Formats: sequence, structure tokens, C-alpha cells
Amino acid sequence: MFTTHNITSRLFERQIRTPPPGTSIHRARRFYENIVPATTIYEVECPDNSFRKFTEDGKYLISFSRNHQDLIVYRPTWLSFSCKHEDCDNQDLPPKAKKFESFFTQLYSVPLASANELICKDFFLYAESNQFGLFATSTAQIYDAPATGGAIQGVPSIEKITFHLLRLEDGVVLDERVFCNDYINLAHSMGVFLFDDLLAIVSLRYQRIHILQIRDSGSLVDLRAIGEFCREDDELFLNSSAQASTYIYTSDKTFLVISSADKRAPQHMPANNAANGSHLEQQPAQENPFLSGIKQRLLSFIVRGIQNEEKDETMRIQSLKKKFYFHFQDYVDLIIWKVQFLDRHHLLIKFGSVDGAVSRNADNHPAFFAVYNMESTEIIAFYQMSSDELYLLFEQFCDHFHVPSKSSPYMNFISSHSNNIHALEQLRSSKNKATSFPLFIKKVLVSLPFNCQFIYKCYIICLQLISAADRHRQSTDHPIKFILRRPPHTLKFKIKPGPEAGITDCRTKRISSFLFHPILPLALSVQQTLFLQPAVVNIHFRR
Amino acid sequence: MGSWDVGIWPSFDPHNFSQLRPNDPSAPSTPITYHPTHDRTLPPPDQVISSEAKNILLRQFYQRGDEKLRPKRAAPENLSPEQECKHPRASFASSSEPPK
Repeated sequence: MFTTHNITSRLFERQIRTPPPGTSIHRARRFYENIVPATTIYEVECPDNSFRKFTEDGKYLISFSRNHQDLIVYRPTWLSFSCKHEDCDNQDLPPKAKKFESFFTQLYSVPLASANELICKDFFLYAESNQFGLFATSTAQIYDAPATGGAIQGVPSIEKITFHLLRLEDGVVLDERVFCNDYINLAHSMGVFLFDDLLAIVSLRYQRIHILQIRDSGSLVDLRAIGEFCREDDELFLNSSAQASTYIYTSDKTFLVISSADKRAPQHMPANNAANGSHLEQQPAQENPFLSGIKQRLLSFIVRGIQNEEKDETMRIQSLKKKFYFHFQDYVDLIIWKVQFLDRHHLLIKFGSVDGAVSRNADNHPAFFAVYNMESTEIIAFYQMSSDELYLLFEQFCDHFHVPSKSSPYMNFISSHSNNIHALEQLRSSKNKATSFPLFIKKVLVSLPFNCQFIYKCYIICLQLISAADRHRQSTDHPIKFILRRPPHTLKFKIKPGPEAGITDCRTKRISSFLFHPILPLALSVQQTLFLQPAVVNIHFRR
Repeated sequence: MGSWDVGIWPSFDPHNFSQLRPNDPSAPSTPITYHPTHDRTLPPPDQVISSEAKNILLRQFYQRGDEKLRPKRAAPENLSPEQECKHPRASFASSSEPPK
């Protein structure tokens, strides 16, 4: 049975034949191979905004004003004009059709940032079921901020970060959440993860994971703050039983046991030997002798895992000394880098050093992954960055790391190496070609935990070949070609950013960004040269 | 489209679909008990079919975590890796949906 590429025969096939079981969505998507945005309107006159993104359902185009203080939302529409001539396809477009307003209607413009704040232009999360959008504004970053109030030394501080929850239909600000003197990684929404109605915000400076819920009414409700305390009543419990804490130091054993009156939270603080014990004795004099709640859970999981490896008591102590006590300070110094949801109760947390959290290239710094259950407050798993066990799980169950949300079943149809045998073969062949297996694992796992809404949902891109649709690219004078992934690998359409005549001045660097509508065959290409010059915007659509 | 109420359609055994609640929007649409059509596949009398809340990735994490934290027994008593893998599959079979 040969598949045809002609749209008319595909339509007839659709009328006559039912698709093979489970492929009706795939067949419907193949129509996008025929409906391509091949026509370009060059240098469209449009408002001088920075266009960021289409929402996942294609209903809104999000853009910010040049001064990064206002949010402007457009509704993508389509041309509507009638042609009186007989041969309409070869006629030129009427001049009214070549305007920005024919394709986009401005819905509203809302000022989000006040005087000294700026909207973070890389941050936007969309809650599709309610059509809510989450935006962030922040003041300037302060480097070398003093580590006060439980903050981590070395992490910069931002005086005020505000998250705004808007209803995109009419631009009404429904709720806000402010974080003061904190640091949240807002670039590309790395420090925030949205899953259905749950929001996880990682405060790098105070080492807390704030879990919030977005209610249907639009209010942001605090659910928990994981970090210093794991359960909601830990703080109350620790404060009330502070007087009942006793320290027991036994010289013949190698453990220093800190226990409170109720055996609910006993934690073992191991000491290497008597010399280090004096270091730990100084701890009661500090303000807070306990490590943070999540750190205690992590350390006790590691200790129990190492303890269980050996049956013999002396071998066990040797193993603990070598694998845990030797690296104890490194484990204690780990901080939370990034977080994602695995389901409503489980988080995948990436731990690393303080230097790696703030540096741009974190690949050289060691990192660890942990799975944390929020309900039982237990660490379920702990892996190093180059763990082959974690790699095997990633190879087999990659789709489950991209948390499937109920509201967008689109994720079920993205092919990855866990659901597509060709992609798996590709991955395995690059694994066999890799010179160093741990380095290969590091390269594959570096994207974990995934950024929220990172996979851009667009039917056209799925079928064609494209690199980096969402990111800015340095553009050349050549158009970008879109070629069918399946045989025959024919050229389907080209997109040329920039002016129609091409670029005369090749010395200045140009950045092109492309915005593809997720459903309609419509794309915007924005080419910018210097910051002060207005951008060149082209509209690509199917005539 | 007419009524999709399966309970009124003819079937071999009148008890087969008698437990279905007719088109009650608040009730779940799948039957809770399974009525076998022959004696060879009788389920245990107290069987309740429910779906696992954790997805397969989390199940793997929990399984490996339990293996690491379970105190080791003497060598002959240890299950071989194949047998350990077979345990979860047996639990899949018991929670599978009844054949239509």
C-alpha cells in the first residue's frame, strides 16, 4: 500500500478508508505536509514590539513592549478578502492583505512592570485548560549579595521578583506572588515548572521549593515549601521540642546521635573519628544545628543505601568511611539546582554545587539526581550524573520524564527514543560510537530535569526538518529549507528571514527568530540587527 | 445514537452485564467485577480491579530503591535477577482489564 502525497487523493482516501488502528491522528497530521506556509510577505509594517511566542493552543500571540514593561497580546486571525477575478490564485494579494493587522488583532496591552522592574522576556508559562498565563517581572540582579537570613553564599540576589497570573482572554491580572531578596532562575523558565495546576518554584538563594496551586478562580495558593522543612508542621514541632533535644556522644561507636524527645525524626550525624567530633561539638553553639530537612532526608538515604551493601560489620564501616564520610562535606554542600514534577506527588530534583548553579556552563560541575515524594517526604532514589542505571531508565522511559499533562495529550504523539524504534537505534548507535560511556551518559542526561513547556507543540515542525525553532539563530542570507522527513525527501517550502532583496551589509550580526503557529500554517520571522534598529518582520503563510 | 446501555443487549449469560449502572454520569463506566464466561478463568472471590496510581517510571524508581534498602540475606536465598523482574509482571497480569 503506497502512501500518496497528493492532497486530493489523500482527501479521497480519508473519505473511503479508515486508518490502521491507532493512527488516525498521524494520518490527520500528514495533511500538514500539503498545507505549508510557502508564501511570504516581506517587511510587514508592524508595531515595534518583541514578539515572543504563540500559546500552545494557537489562540494568542504573546509580545512585550520594547521597554519590557508592557504585555501586548494578539489574536491570530486570517486574511478575509474576496476576489472577483476568475483566476484568483495567480493574482497578487490586495495591499490591505499585506498588513500586520490582517493577520493579528490586538486584544489588549497591560502594564505589568512598574518603574524599576522589567518583564523577564524569556519567561512565559501557559496553563491551557484555563487559558491562564504566568509572567514574571524582576528588578535588577545584585551580585555579591551578603548571605543573610539563611541564604546561600555565592548566589546573587534580586530585590523583587513578582509572578503575575493573567487570564489571557481579557488581560485581567488574577493574582500575584512576590519573592523579595531572592533568586529564581527565570531564563527560559528554568526555575519554575508547571504541571496541570501545580507550580514548583525553586528559590536558589534560600534553597526552598515552593509548591503552589493555580485554582480555577485564578488564585495562587501555597501548598508547601520544601527545603528547610519537609512536612507542614515540622517548624512548629522543632520549635516546641527544642528544649527536649539531647546530644549523646559515645566514644566507642562512630556515630554521633542527635535525637529529640519524640523519636519521630531521629537523624544520624556521623563523625569520622574523635578529631572530627570536636568539629561537630561546636555545632550546638550555632543558631541551627540541624541540616535542612531535605538535606537530612538525602543524607540518610545515602547512608542507608551504603550500609545495606555490605553484610559484614567491619566491611560496612569501611565502605561507609570510604564512600560517605570522605565526601560528607561535599554532600552537605550540595544545593538544589533544578526541579521538575514526575507526577503530582513526586519531584525530580537536581543537586549540585553552588558554583555550578550560577555559572553559565554547568556541564563541568558534578551533579546528582534525586526523586522525592512530597507526600511521604522521602527520597526514593539518588543517582550520580553519570549513573548507568539512570541512563537505562531514561532510555526506556524517556516519555515519562516529559510529564504527560491531562490537558494536552499532544505529548503522546511526539516520537522519542522510548516509543520509536528508529530513534532508539540512533541513540544506541551513538552510544556504541562514544569513546567514554560516562561522558555519553552525561551528555544525554544533561537536559534533565526538563524545562517546562520546552517541547514546542507545532504540527508542521513535527513533520519537517528543523533545528531550533524557538531559539534565536544567527542568520545568513540563505533561506531555511524545510524538507520532508519521510521519503521522498522533497523540499516542501522555504522561509527567508529578513528583507526580500537580501542583506547588503554582511558585517553586522543578525539574529533571527521564528515563531510558528501550532495549528495554522502561519509563521513569523523576526530579524534584528542592532538593538536600536527596528526589526524586520516577515509573515509566512499558506495562500 | 440510541442507548449504549450494554445491560439490555442480549448475551449468553444474563448475569454478565447486570452489574452495570444504566448511564449514570456519576458512576464509573467500567464494571467493577468480572464475570467469566467459562470455568477455566475464575477470578479469586475478593478480586478488586484498580489501576496503579504510580506511572511505570516511578514504579521502577521505587523497585530499585527497595532493592537497595532491603537488608541483604545470605547468597542462596537471594532471588536471581530474572526472577526479581518477573514479580512486577505477575502483578500486571492481575490488574489487567477483563476481556471484552
